[in-house]
Amino acid sequence: MARNPFPVEVLTPEGNVFDGEVEMLSTRTGEGSLGVLANHAPLLAILEPTELRLHREGGEVETFAQAEGYLQVVDNSALVLVEEAHRPDDLDRSDLESRLDEARNSLEGSEEGSEERRGYERDVKRYEAFLEVADG
Amino acid sequence: MASSSSLSERIDSVKNVKQITRAMEMVAAARLRRAEQRIEALRPYADALRRMTRRAVEGAQSLPDIPLLEEHDSIDRVGLLLVTGDRGLAGAFNSQIIRAGERRARELRGEGLEPRWYVIGAKGAASLGFRGYELDGTYSGFTDRPAYANAREVGQHIVSTYTEENVDRAEMFYNGYISPMSQIVRHETLLPLQQADFLGGDDDEEEDGDESDEGGEGTGGKGGEEGPDHSRALWIYEPEPGEILRQLAPDYVEISIYRAMLESTASEHGARMTAMRSASDNADEMIDDLTMQANRERQAAITQEIMEVVSGAEATTG
Repeated sequence: MARNPFPVEVLTPEGNVFDGEVEMLSTRTGEGSLGVLANHAPLLAILEPTELRLHREGGEVETFAQAEGYLQVVDNSALVLVEEAHRPDDLDRSDLESRLDEARNSLEGSEEGSEERRGYERDVKRYEAFLEVADG
Repeated sequence: MASSSSLSERIDSVKNVKQITRAMEMVAAARLRRAEQRIEALRPYADALRRMTRRAVEGAQSLPDIPLLEEHDSIDRVGLLLVTGDRGLAGAFNSQIIRAGERRARELRGEGLEPRWYVIGAKGAASLGFRGYELDGTYSGFTDRPAYANAREVGQHIVSTYTEENVDRAEMFYNGYISPMSQIVRHETLLPLQQADFLGGDDDEEEDGDESDEGGEGTGGKGGEEGPDHSRALWIYEPEPGEILRQLAPDYVEISIYRAMLESTASEHGARMTAMRSASDNADEMIDDLTMQANRERQAAITQEIMEVVSGAEATTG
């Protein structure tokens, strides 16, 4: 069934990685998976690292390995704000594995409740999610 | 004769120097263009983060406790974050930041406050270390092309020193990028986050001050005069707007540092380009002077020889 397309923009601090019309956007919040269709109610959400899927018209799906960030839907358009977003083909499995190891080690050595620890927890979650996308 | 050959040696060596400075100028120009593009690329992200913050503030019934927004009861220590570069040969780029930081440190000491140092860039760290300052944080190896992750590392450190009350305020000094020819030293307060900046945005003139008083009545009489944002109730927040704000606050610090790093990088390449251009121009001038001098000496030598030949001939015929 054809759905109405709506504009989606994916922004990172390094620039725009996607700007186009999609029929459905799917990502993940702290509550679980989230799918957004056209005419969604206004929404502001914190996103968890995951595979971002953008279903384009004609059944094509564009995917990104997406870091944590924010999603805002307003006036029938969606804005995804994330620290990093990579095409699955650009992911380097061994690089991600070594980063994950490094983050896990740092996490163990870090002080309970510190800002550093939260940072490493964030890294671990991010690289785990990226690895899942890489294994796709 | 000896002096003319030493002159040509000097000309050669100045020419070599000029080749190097020209090459450095061209490298700096290419890097400057890339750095400018990255400043442009960040803008939409930073603007969107600002808009989302404003949205979360509107959604929050009352402001949550966000440590980064709260002023400490007593101000004793002030963190100074200096953004310098890893390399020199860029005119006053590094030294003007160090000077500004030292001036501020003197002011703070005059007010009975203790400055704590946090330095981005190997040049700044080396030069402050040399002057005997104790540095609480040094970050280097990336100033040619800073990544967001670098800003995050610095941001996390500054945020945790603030929340753990090791500093009671954090200020940042960096070279603001105006044009390839001009950079100015910018001095910004990082923490506590300025309520007006973080929550209000630039140009919106919202009456934040009265909101808490009116809030009680406002929630009672929903659908009343809520201003332009009558759709407040329809927004979905995941999680609560207060939680979203709590996560946005450190991101806001990171973005501010990242923007400063990018501007500093563009400024550094601009300053190096300008410094190398004037070095090349000086070399040109020097080459002209030396060549002129060499020509004059060569001419004098030739004249001398002719005179000898002529006077010799005259002596034999006469």
